[in-house]
Amino acid sequence: MIPNPLALIAEITHRCPLHCVYCSNPLQMISAKSELSTQEWVRVFQEASRLGILHLHLTGGEPLARADLKDLVEAAHEAGLYTNLITSGIGLGETRLAALVDAGLDHVQLSFQDSKEEAANWIGGAKAHAHKVALAEVIRKFRVAFTVNLVVHRQNLDHLEEMIAFVEQLRPDRMEIAHAQYYGWALKNRDTLIPTRQQLENCLRVVGAAQERLSGRIRIDCVVPDYYARYPKACMGGWGRNLILINPSGRVLPCHAAEVIPGMQFDNVREHALDWIWRDSTAFQRFRGEEWMPEPCRSCERRSEDFGGCRCQAFLITGDASATDPVCTLAPTHHLIESVQLQVNSGGEKPGEVAWSYRGNPE
Amino acid sequence: MPRPLDSSRPHFASGCRWGAHGENPVVLYPEGMIRVEGPGRAILELCDGQRTVEEIAKVLSERYRSADPAKIREDVASFLEGLQQKRIVDY
Repeated sequence: MIPNPLALIAEITHRCPLHCVYCSNPLQMISAKSELSTQEWVRVFQEASRLGILHLHLTGGEPLARADLKDLVEAAHEAGLYTNLITSGIGLGETRLAALVDAGLDHVQLSFQDSKEEAANWIGGAKAHAHKVALAEVIRKFRVAFTVNLVVHRQNLDHLEEMIAFVEQLRPDRMEIAHAQYYGWALKNRDTLIPTRQQLENCLRVVGAAQERLSGRIRIDCVVPDYYARYPKACMGGWGRNLILINPSGRVLPCHAAEVIPGMQFDNVREHALDWIWRDSTAFQRFRGEEWMPEPCRSCERRSEDFGGCRCQAFLITGDASATDPVCTLAPTHHLIESVQLQVNSGGEKPGEVAWSYRGNPE
Repeated sequence: MPRPLDSSRPHFASGCRWGAHGENPVVLYPEGMIRVEGPGRAILELCDGQRTVEEIAKVLSERYRSADPAKIREDVASFLEGLQQKRIVDY
């Protein structure tokens, strides 16, 4: 029996004023002229709601880059979806936010790159930090849930306590401390982003203390980097089990990165109903369930918990999307992850020597 | 934040609200949802920011007559404290 999806991640555009070095967008971005129209998105939100989806995550790129964002929020709200805006805040002020809240926006998730202005602007490749700080104050004036998302990695983890204190004074309801995940731009920049084992251990200690101190005021969630895990993450809760992602041109994916897997044909909402794509399309069935699993997954008692880990990561590291996720200590290819760990923990560059690729922009 | 007082007036936190999953009511909050049934649902339906914890416990005591009122008050406070820590309820 195929479960209903619970959440839709709508990448409504790949355009973005920021150029974060760990952006989850693919290296090949969708151009503005290929983006779905307002009417097409509205239809998709209605289909999503009928399919049982509860949460809509409006993301990008920068979703505020779409002039019709208010109309999209309104349509999603009317379709019965809980509407999240995942944003850098660039393009948002009090008037536009008031209109979005009025249209039914439930939650704003504002990203920060660092607590220090210079460092934040360096990571994001844009002068965005000061605006974000001012915007946080504005968001608190509205009756909308407010989360601050902080992406952490080797270049900023050494002052995590300072960053948590900084986020605390922005007074969000929630704080998400998200280790960069190594796909897309973050994989390209992995060598400068991946934390040392010592940084990770320190991070877990600092986050634990902050969770205790801020309990009842700010809820802190922490997403750890799976390169140091013993077992893989249940990526997206399993392929085609909980979640749908639609890219700016309407292609429907089981996750952010799936298009890297060669030989896959992902269907488009311009040509097929979302319900059919979810239930019957070849792409969504490809790694659903356990039929595709190799050993040691196939006979592993954890297979119903982590679903063999991430298919994209398996492909990106081993060249085989059907392999056990190599971060698993039981995977025959785990040595590939161990060699990355070894490299990271045996020295590394000094501050100021970092060379990385900034995320570009679509045409 | 400590447990709610008898005089606290609990309500949904910003951005948290009722929704429906099929036939079942659920509580929606950023990034997730919880299914609430039975007494939990009864408590949350009474959290309108007007009623106090004491009043909520009293309503439930009248509804669940076989239960000890002191135990009901304790259960209401502990249920709300858990949701407050998830930032779903404020008081």
